Amino acid sequence: MEQTVASAETETLRVNSLHAFAYCQRLFYLEEVEELYTQNESVFAGRRLHAELQKLEREDWQEFNLESVALGLRGRVDALRTLEGHLIPYEHKIGRCYRDRQQQPQAWHSDRVQILAYACLLETVLGVTVPEGRIHYHRDNVTVRVPVDEAGRQLVRDTIEQARQLRASLERPPVCRNERLCLNCSLAPVCLPEEARLARDPEHLPLRLFPRDDEREIIHVTAGKALIRRAGEQLRIAIDDEPEQKLPIQQVGQIVIHKFAQITTPAIHLCAYQDVGVHFISSGGRYIGSIDNRKGSIQRRIRQYQALTNPDQCLRLAQLLVNCRGQSQRRLLLRAQRNRQDALPALQEITTQMEQLLDTISHTDSLEALRGIEGHLAALYFSGLPYLIGDQVPEKLHFNGRNRRPPQDRFNALLSFGYGMLLKDVMNAILTVGLEPAFGFYHQPRTQAPPLALDLMEIFRVPLVDMVVIASINRMQWNFDECFEVCRDHVWLSDDGRRKFIQLYEARKGEMWKHPVTNYSLTYRRLLELEVRLLEKEWCGEAGLFGKLILR
Amino acid sequence: MGESKNWYLICYDIRDPKRWRQVYKQLEGYGERLQFSIFRCRLTPREREKLRWQLEKVLTEEDDLLIVGLCNQCIERVRACNRSGAWPVSEQNFKIF
Repeated sequence: MEQTVASAETETLRVNSLHAFAYCQRLFYLEEVEELYTQNESVFAGRRLHAELQKLEREDWQEFNLESVALGLRGRVDALRTLEGHLIPYEHKIGRCYRDRQQQPQAWHSDRVQILAYACLLETVLGVTVPEGRIHYHRDNVTVRVPVDEAGRQLVRDTIEQARQLRASLERPPVCRNERLCLNCSLAPVCLPEEARLARDPEHLPLRLFPRDDEREIIHVTAGKALIRRAGEQLRIAIDDEPEQKLPIQQVGQIVIHKFAQITTPAIHLCAYQDVGVHFISSGGRYIGSIDNRKGSIQRRIRQYQALTNPDQCLRLAQLLVNCRGQSQRRLLLRAQRNRQDALPALQEITTQMEQLLDTISHTDSLEALRGIEGHLAALYFSGLPYLIGDQVPEKLHFNGRNRRPPQDRFNALLSFGYGMLLKDVMNAILTVGLEPAFGFYHQPRTQAPPLALDLMEIFRVPLVDMVVIASINRMQWNFDECFEVCRDHVWLSDDGRRKFIQLYEARKGEMWKHPVTNYSLTYRRLLELEVRLLEKEWCGEAGLFGKLILR
Repeated sequence: MGESKNWYLICYDIRDPKRWRQVYKQLEGYGERLQFSIFRCRLTPREREKLRWQLEKVLTEEDDLLIVGLCNQCIERVRACNRSGAWPVSEQNFKIF
């Protein structure tokens, strides 16, 4: 810890980060300290503008990389002109300028800080006096002149000082007051400002800043003899002697390798570089592991350690979790009551008992007590589950209690494979957000599987796996000879069955769900990541939104 | 699903083989080639701007680039005036091999 603070004091700040600091302190913190960079379209549009300008004025375009340790700044001045013997830095902005009361064009505050910082940097490094800086706003095609005076220089020095203090701090600043800043902010989907405002004020009506769906495809490779390799910016998949399948890398979100398909090192590099998750599932459907390409985001893991070593915090989160799963389990049984008149008394008995158990969750004072309740709830739930299976379903697909490692009947084989896939998706979300999967709050630390992933999985078991399995069995989508392989008391999915399950599971993940608190709908695929981000907020002072995924 | 994704037709004329190869490779990362120097890509605004920026770094004054955005109705018309299967669209967000 001391090391990081010491280096933070001597390291210079980028001028661009001062711009971020003047825009929103939380943005600065997320980028500079937590090292989160996401680019939205305006970021790229800005870069393109610079590339275009560079070509237009090839002759007099020069880039200067400047750094001054005394000032504490470094940066790249992208255009510099000499007018009447004075150096003038130019900055190009793609958007509009700020208009004051008289409709006169002015620089936005953050842009002003940025150009002043460039001027100070030039003055310190080159030993000249810079009389002014100019900002060209391309949307309304005006150039704003920013005079460099003593007040401006002082503003830069003050901003650097404040930014340095913030960089050394472990506290993430609150969301900014001006909500309009968040609308155009590239970090909104990871900062979740509207959700934070909602946590502070339940009356707040959040705008949607979190994307509805993840647009990238999930690629499952179930063929055993497959080769995944890189060709330029594509992934190519060759199976036996068939022609290669081409996958543009920008369209890929995850590669899931079932069995032993080959993936080349260049392909793994490309995936790591483009933030594509690479996951391995065994031929029996067990989650083996993932390529971990997390960079940075150490601060959030430090905060995770701090929060989850606190027993009270762990207990509170675990209560939320057990409640969330138990409620969903109970609701699923309640749904079944509607069309099963014959089993009504039995189901009513189970759901009443479950309700009584759920009421005791908030009074538990230890994780052990909570585990007892959870075990009891699960036993009740699984005893009610057989009533959910229709009369038309053949005996071989019925459910008679949960068993695993290895699953002994077809129903359990489906559940186990589903939970394996779910664990993979939860791990993908945890790695995307940058948390530590091995450090959870409810499951015991052990070598088998990452506890935080197991914790988070609880929320999704009923909606993403149990319901998919039950619905597909009731719809008679399984052929019990072709879809399963039975070897005395082992049952697992055949190649056919595996493909069918993946299809059902992925289709379910694409369905929409309306969040009861934030009131916007999003796909389950996206919800996995949102839930991890909301979990992280629980220990960052913006609690109250985690674990709300309950069936209706 | 994927509400903000749209189809784009991307065509180019590039005078230099080195730049041509760079652009070709870049575009293969985003979508599929329909004919020589014509690609179709399904992009979000973010991906579109990223691609424009990446291409702008490579292209020079003498090259041509045309990006045509297509709405859903455009796609239907494309289908109506072409042979069947000219513009296959998959609604899924996953693939199984």
